Amino acid sequence: MRVVTLSGQLAAPLPRRRPSLGYLLVAPLVLWLLLTVIVPLIGAIGLSMQDMRIIGTPSNYVGLENYGRIIGDSAFWSAAGRSVVWVIGNALLQTALGFVVALLLNQRLRLARFARTWILLSWVIPTAVLVIIWRWMLSSAGGGLINALLLEARLIRLPISFFGSAESAMLTLIVINSWRWFPLTALFVLAGLQAIPEELYEAAKVDGASVLQRFRFITLPSLQPVLASLGLIGFLWSVNVFDVIWLLTQGGPSDGTTTLPVFIYNAAFKQYRLSEAAAASVVFGVLLLVCAALFLRFIGSPERER
Amino acid sequence: MRGSVFGKLLGTAALLIVLFTVLFPIYWMAASSVKVPREIIARRVTLVPQSFTTQHYEKLLSASNFPTYTVNSLIVSLSTMVISVTLAVLAGYGVYQTKFFGSQTFLRAMLVAYAFPTVLLIVPLYFVLSALRLVDTYYALIIVNVTLTAPFAVWLLQAFFRSVPQDIVDAALVDGAGQLFVLWRIVLPLIAPGIAAISIFCFVTSWTEYLFASILINSDALRTLPPGLAGIIGQYQIDWGLLMAGAVAVTLPVVIIFALFGRSFVSGLTQGAVKV
Repeated sequence: MRVVTLSGQLAAPLPRRRPSLGYLLVAPLVLWLLLTVIVPLIGAIGLSMQDMRIIGTPSNYVGLENYGRIIGDSAFWSAAGRSVVWVIGNALLQTALGFVVALLLNQRLRLARFARTWILLSWVIPTAVLVIIWRWMLSSAGGGLINALLLEARLIRLPISFFGSAESAMLTLIVINSWRWFPLTALFVLAGLQAIPEELYEAAKVDGASVLQRFRFITLPSLQPVLASLGLIGFLWSVNVFDVIWLLTQGGPSDGTTTLPVFIYNAAFKQYRLSEAAAASVVFGVLLLVCAALFLRFIGSPERER
Repeated sequence: MRGSVFGKLLGTAALLIVLFTVLFPIYWMAASSVKVPREIIARRVTLVPQSFTTQHYEKLLSASNFPTYTVNSLIVSLSTMVISVTLAVLAGYGVYQTKFFGSQTFLRAMLVAYAFPTVLLIVPLYFVLSALRLVDTYYALIIVNVTLTAPFAVWLLQAFFRSVPQDIVDAALVDGAGQLFVLWRIVLPLIAPGIAAISIFCFVTSWTEYLFASILINSDALRTLPPGLAGIIGQYQIDWGLLMAGAVAVTLPVVIIFALFGRSFVSGLTQGAVKV
């Protein structure tokens, strides 16, 4: 209502220059995010210095004790190591797939236009559903499609237990997660490809540049800013993945797929070490901040490349 | 690569393989959901169903909590969508219309908020929401889902706001139209595809959200679909037919929405990416 009276008085200078209106319009969202992100984060730092195990129980101030416990906990660092494996595995697979598929989608074909939308389906379907489908397809009991096909083709003698060992479970999870995310990577790379002016290629062709040279000297450098931001956001998103892992392996077998998100979840909600989980979250956040800063420093920020 | 018939064939074949990789698992789920139980667990798998039954769907509707979960998911997702879109439109219009000092920083902050790893928020949010006695209510999920979706919605909308010609808006304002009138009657119709894109994004994100829904809701009567579905997997004897039928039912609305608005959603998504 105030907005109406505001605009009622205005005539001469265009009201759009009034910053107060801008602040007023942005305020609800900013306030919302302050209350749901910043306040809880501050609350969590407070919680990490308590000794609360279960939510709502009385607790005492213990200073940095929880931090010492987390930093001295080998399980935390093993989880961090698995997170590194997870991120690198996903990054390699998704970048490779994303790149190839983006080039395919960039063709002038009717099928390519169709695919540009529908390829995203694996990303849109709920995680809970995706997990059900893959568990079912990879099952080693009757009805498990992939084992059945491999057996029929006589490529294997006994059904493979995809989640049986730590290594194969991790590999399987990386493949499933990449199946989910590579279309998005491909579409981002595609958007970058389509922003490259056609004339650059034409000029290079006139100068006699080969397909590979054009890729190396036009495509790759032009994609640099998109790849840099995709790399950073992709890193943050994949390190964040919890539900696929939890719903398929619960971090097992024998903690083999317990990445940091699973570690924190377990600590908070399964082992009732709430304050320690808060401390682990803070340490995890600091580690991520360092990684992001290193990334921007050495791989390049999207802005500086522009 | 362009032009030659051979290249086109090769390109088409490669695309078909990619599409098959993405779409086959989804087909497999749908196909399995109409097979009779004996065929589902048969040693010899049948790529095309040899039997047809709706028994799993009937069981889903009559002998499970699925209908309750669906209602809960609808309440949470629609509320999230309305709140998130309203907040994003207001903020987006504020940036577009006044370009106030700090508006670029604000937009950048929205992107950071979107990239922010949500696992870092599970313990903090759980702590605060339970202090407010909101755990195990719809409010908890709606609050969290708005926080998860609104920043990116603002970001997505930017590209659409930027395409609105300032002249039209200025003319209306000079004529004495109020800001809200201009936003509602002139700007919103022009950015309708953007509104569609962010509405889909907000709805689908909340519809599929698992982590917070499983932590913040304890009672079965308030559970949403993703944790509800995951609860069936946890059982000792997995009823695959029921599970597949449930999975299809949860996926169907998403696929329908995607079929209707997928194109504008994808273009909105990637436009934002290039302009980072």
